[in-house]
This record gives sequence, structure tokens and C-alpha cells, in this order.
Amino acid sequence: MASANDIKIDDYVDITDVVCPVTFVKAKVAIEELETGQILSVHMNGGEPLQNVPRSMKEEGHRVLKLTANDDGTYDLIVEKGEEE
Amino acid sequence: MEFTYEQMQRYSRHIILKEIGSKGQKKLLNSRVLIIGAGGLGSPAAMYLAAAGVGTIGVADADEVDLSNLQRQIVHTTADVGKAKVLSAKETMEAINPDVKVIPYETFVSAENIADLIKDYDFVIDGTDNFPAKFLINDACVMAEKPFSHAGIIRFQGQLMTYVPGRGPCYRCVFKNPPPADAVPTCRQAGVVGAMGGVIGSLQAMEAIKYLLGKGELLTGYLLTYNALTMEFRKIKLPEKVKDCPICGDNPTIHELTDYEMNSCGGAF
Amino acid sequence: MKITVSGKIKEYKDGLTLKELVEAEKVETPEYVTGSVNDELYSAKDFEGIVLKDGDAVEFLYFMGGGLC
Repeated sequence: MASANDIKIDDYVDITDVVCPVTFVKAKVAIEELETGQILSVHMNGGEPLQNVPRSMKEEGHRVLKLTANDDGTYDLIVEKGEEE
Repeated sequence: MEFTYEQMQRYSRHIILKEIGSKGQKKLLNSRVLIIGAGGLGSPAAMYLAAAGVGTIGVADADEVDLSNLQRQIVHTTADVGKAKVLSAKETMEAINPDVKVIPYETFVSAENIADLIKDYDFVIDGTDNFPAKFLINDACVMAEKPFSHAGIIRFQGQLMTYVPGRGPCYRCVFKNPPPADAVPTCRQAGVVGAMGGVIGSLQAMEAIKYLLGKGELLTGYLLTYNALTMEFRKIKLPEKVKDCPICGDNPTIHELTDYEMNSCGGAF
Repeated sequence: MKITVSGKIKEYKDGLTLKELVEAEKVETPEYVTGSVNDELYSAKDFEGIVLKDGDAVEFLYFMGGGLC
């Protein structure tokens, strides 16, 4: 497993500019563009996205590698894409 | 293609689904469905497929909207009375979803035009009210190897089956030949509850969506019947293959399409 | 004998033909119904020659036009 600091990010998506349910939708659209094993970084707000996006990513079969709280109240979620169905 | 923010909003409930996701939604946007008949069955089918973002939807019908249609044909409104059904349907569908391109064909299907009509579509929905048209659609779809959804409604009852080439029986396997004119009542003479079109037409839209996505199990090899009075849905198993079917059997005897003559009440002569 | 008619188990006399069942069940438009016995399809003209046996499952498939009209 990749350690916390040397994760290579393949794509990045900012979902701080959208509201539920598009928060997860935008993140999902981004991760579906990747190949299995590639890494997506999701920049998001606290509250609803923080509660739902990591959980929904796991439910979809992806692996949450890391969640970092930023000073401005936003979060960065690092997710590895799981197997496609 | 990339989704716009509006598309992510519009299709969010689809994209969230595991079985659809962004790839499935793109498939729908790139798909083409032909709806034959903009009536009781075609109305809900047209509206749900437009709402779902099926990118190109053809609608074929030669009729004009009549006041007596509005009890069940929900794609048309009172203000549309007298207007061509295909134009009225197009307006409603594009108002629901401007992503969708609606192609109107102001014509009845015939042996002469049907092969041309269906050839560019991925899936066909039979929303017609008469047996000549139903047999013609079946035969044309079998010959062109097009999947289609058959449905019929009358009174408080409805039925539905899906044909996919090579994956089960066709409409003619089950029903052989059109009944003679007036031998079997149609909803014109016998009546139909408007919501029956909503139930069965929506199921046709669902079959189209599942076929386009390649997800789930279709009603191939089954006839689904619905009785609203007893509130029973029954999924009747059909034979996998009917060897002596004149159109899809081992030795087909039908090699070209024919128009069965039709009386004003929708039976074949 | 017991046969299942449209999903419901019913008691009928031995040797019943499909034609007799159609009459007993008051099937609508009997000349234009397709009969299914254990998933095999039969046209109305053949009903007389189909003798049902205990345990058979019978379905009636009706022409249903409607939709546009």
C-alpha cells in the first residue's frame, strides 16, 4: 500500500463549487475516467461531502487511501480506483 | 464527451447508480430509440426516455391529437388538440430535456417504409393499437435483427414482451397471425384506464433503458401480464424457440413484409 | 387431477382437453387465444386434441391491441 506522503496523484477534482448530490456525482464522473489502481484526489468541503463522498466511494468498490483536513476548512480525499464491474 | 454541470445535475440520480454511472449515462446519450405510436403507451415511454437522456428519439405517428386522446396520452395537452401528434410529442419531450434530439415521422408504418424507419435505431418501442401494425413491426424487427418491446393494453389489463434477436421468441411465435377484424376487441371499443398506458408504457421505457445499458434481465422469453383489478403481475414463461415460426423459425416462410388490411377499429380484415 | 391454470391450482376431471378447459374457464375470445401447456404453445384450433394430465401448468395468452387508440 502506498504510504501517506508518496502517493502519485493521477487526477484531481474540485467539488467545493457544487452542492449535493452533484458533489459525489462530480467525484464519481472523475474516478470513472480512470483505470483500476489509478489515484484521484478530491478537494471538498466539510459537512455533507465529508460525510458522504468517502463512504460512497467505498461503496462503489474504491479504496480511500487518505483524508487530509486543510486549514481553510476544506478536505482532500485520496482514492484509489477499484475494479470495474 | 465531458458532462456539463447542468448534465451532472440533470442525470445525478442516474450517475449515482452503480448500474449506470457516467459511462452508462453517456451510453444513453449516444443511443437511438424509435417509438412507433405517440399514444397511450408511447406517451410515457417518450417522456421517460427523453427525461433519461436517450440522445436521439424517433417518434412515428400519422394522427392528430384528439380530445378523446387526452385521458391517457399524457405527452399531449389540451392546447395540442388538432396538432400532429409527432410535433406535440416533440415539443413536450424537448421541453423536458433539451439534450434530446427528437425526430418526428408523420406517417403510419407500412411494409414500404418500416425497414427504412427502424434501420438507424438501436431499439424499437411498439406503442401501436392494432394487430396489423404489431405484426408488421415484429416481422420488420426480426428481419432487420432489431430488438423491440411489444405491449398491449385494454380495459384494466396490459401485456408486455421484449424481443432480442437470438435471445427468445418473437411476437409471431406466440400469436401466429393477426386476428380477423373485430374478432378481438381493442381499447377503442372496449375502453382502457388511462393509467394503464402509464404502467405498461413506462415498463417499455425501462426495457429500452436496460437494453441500451446492457444491464439486468429483459423480458425475453416471457410475456408479462398485468391485471390492475386484481393487482397481479404475472411473468409467463414462453418457449425458448418456436421451430415452426414463419418468421424466426428454422424454415421461415415469410420473406417479405406485407400490410394486413385494417378496418377503422384496428383489426385486420 | 390438479392442474395449474394461470398460476392457480384447480381440480379437474381426468382426461380434460384444453378445449374443455377453455370452456370451463370461460376464456374470452376462445378462438383467438394461444394456450401454453408446460411452456409449449398451442393455437386454438389444436386445443381439442390436447389432453391435460395431472400437474400440468396452463396459461392463456391473449391478443392485446390497445396502446395508441
